[in-house]
Amino acid sequence: MSSAPVAIDVRGVTVGYGDRVVQQNLDFQVRRGEVFVILGGSGSGKSSVLKVMIGLYEPVAGVIRIDGENLVEAEGENRQRLLRKFGVMYQSGALFGSLTVLENVRLPLDEFTELTREEKDLVAMAKLNQVDLLPAAGRMPSELSGGMQKRAAIARALALDPGILFLDEPSAGLDPITSAGLDATIRTLSRGLGITFVVVTHELQSIYSIADRCIMLDARRKTIIAEGAPADLRDHSEDPYVRQFFLRQAEPAAVSGGEGATR
Amino acid sequence: MTPTAVRAELREGDRGPVLAISGRLDVETAAAARREIHAKLAGAPAKALEVDASGVDHGDMSGMVLLYELEEGRLAPGVRARITELKPEFRTLLSAFPSREAIEALEPHRARRTLPVEVGAHSLSLLRDLREQVTFVGAVAQGFGAALRSPRAMRWPEVALAVEKAGVNAVPIVSLISLLAGLIIAFEASQPLAMFGAQAYIADIIGIVMIREFGPIFTAIILAGRSGSAFAAELGTMKVNEELNALTTMGLNPMRFLVMQRVLAGMLLMPVLTAFSMLTGVVGGILVMLAMGFPFAEIWSHLAGAVRVSDVLVGTSKSIVFGAIVAGLGCLRGMQTKEGPSAVGDSATRAVVAGILMIIVVDAIFAVVTNALQV
Repeated sequence: MSSAPVAIDVRGVTVGYGDRVVQQNLDFQVRRGEVFVILGGSGSGKSSVLKVMIGLYEPVAGVIRIDGENLVEAEGENRQRLLRKFGVMYQSGALFGSLTVLENVRLPLDEFTELTREEKDLVAMAKLNQVDLLPAAGRMPSELSGGMQKRAAIARALALDPGILFLDEPSAGLDPITSAGLDATIRTLSRGLGITFVVVTHELQSIYSIADRCIMLDARRKTIIAEGAPADLRDHSEDPYVRQFFLRQAEPAAVSGGEGATR
Repeated sequence: MTPTAVRAELREGDRGPVLAISGRLDVETAAAARREIHAKLAGAPAKALEVDASGVDHGDMSGMVLLYELEEGRLAPGVRARITELKPEFRTLLSAFPSREAIEALEPHRARRTLPVEVGAHSLSLLRDLREQVTFVGAVAQGFGAALRSPRAMRWPEVALAVEKAGVNAVPIVSLISLLAGLIIAFEASQPLAMFGAQAYIADIIGIVMIREFGPIFTAIILAGRSGSAFAAELGTMKVNEELNALTTMGLNPMRFLVMQRVLAGMLLMPVLTAFSMLTGVVGGILVMLAMGFPFAEIWSHLAGAVRVSDVLVGTSKSIVFGAIVAGLGCLRGMQTKEGPSAVGDSATRAVVAGILMIIVVDAIFAVVTNALQV
């Protein structure tokens, strides 16, 4: 995996709002085809980091390169082209409530392709098929369960076949079974289509089942405190906070118990 | 990988024609590829067709849809092509397209309801709405009773805030619209009255019309547009965010907490706003008459002779009722908000429409009653 080319290169990025710095001096690379997870406790700014990576917010400092091109400085047509290299699934799904599921998935195809109406329908159906949601194609988003809404949002993010998919808290608000189903979908898409995933989550089960590599952000130190495969971090990290996180221990730093003691 | 343009070649194979597709088959080239395939297949006999896809070196779902259409006989009518030598990564994409049966099995978009069902459902919802309105009026009356018994339970700071937002801030727009309305009415009336040499009576018309009818109505319509909709949107958003449920489960009555102070504010601010409207409307009429050369003393004597105290009282009491209707309907529509992204907007629309409708209906009732009472 480490030999794959870099898909996203984050260099010296500082994220903040006004005077408040959320994370500073972040350096990490996401390689093509891997499932890369951004971890962190509540309030560590992982969603803000994601929003900077997808160009919604500007970083206070630093550079974000997607396939070698700087997203921060890209403008106009160039920026549009860069934005189309990735899809995003927002935490709430963010489906358009006035459109059916199929129309939601077809919308980017309507706007950016020269396919015929029938072809666009077929591609949208294929996308829904990939996330096992084809039977719900004609329904309205409000008629779907939380897990189905997230699948539909993934299908929409996939509509233009981007090489990279950003997922914000895919398992938030889902029961363990639905959440595991979503993880399976992510693995299938990653293995089968070679899509690069950047996932923000704090769900331990999810992390073990999908992540190739992860970084952990800390709210107090405002930077990356660990990087590597999740099992490695759990078993070998020297950092007390990282061990606490993986062992699901409450507070404070007195972490001396054996592995998995409280899990 | 350097993407090349897409190419299609038709050649004769061992078992019939072979269409060789090569190059890049993706979202960028799909339209060109379709044209190319159509051109190549145009003269070909409609028999079995094999598609040699070994040359496809770059592709995505939007490109694969063409292969799917060839396979399903959608591109070349009557010929279901056999796709061969497709690279496995593209085969995965191609296999994601649903089968013909799966597409046919899809639920229809939305079941159409027959006319009788539609009429019945609509009538039922109208009746239900009427029932809710009656219940609401009762609850508001009950709330006022409670407020009279213990005035300290009323949330006075919020009443003041509502009066400021819906009342004080509306003074400029109400004044401007009424002034212009007064000008227009005076202008339009001056033409026919000139035929009888009765232009001095413009003052009578403007006084009675603005003070008895248009002052209260204009103000109420502006209030419905500015604040009835705002009340509906505020309460609707609170309902969507489950804030109303939170109040209820804390044992707090949303009526007392959210509705009463808005209705009270509506009733308090409307007479004052209406007074502004009456005044500026009459001023507008006076301006026109002054421009026509009438001396102010004559205008004033006409006004004083035409407008009775009862006119002012009728106009003012109307405005209080209108204030209660607009604020109450705004709150009711807000509390009736359903779920979904357009729900809050729908509630705001319903509040304004129902508010304006009720203003006109109640004004008609006022006209009948005051006529019968001869005031």
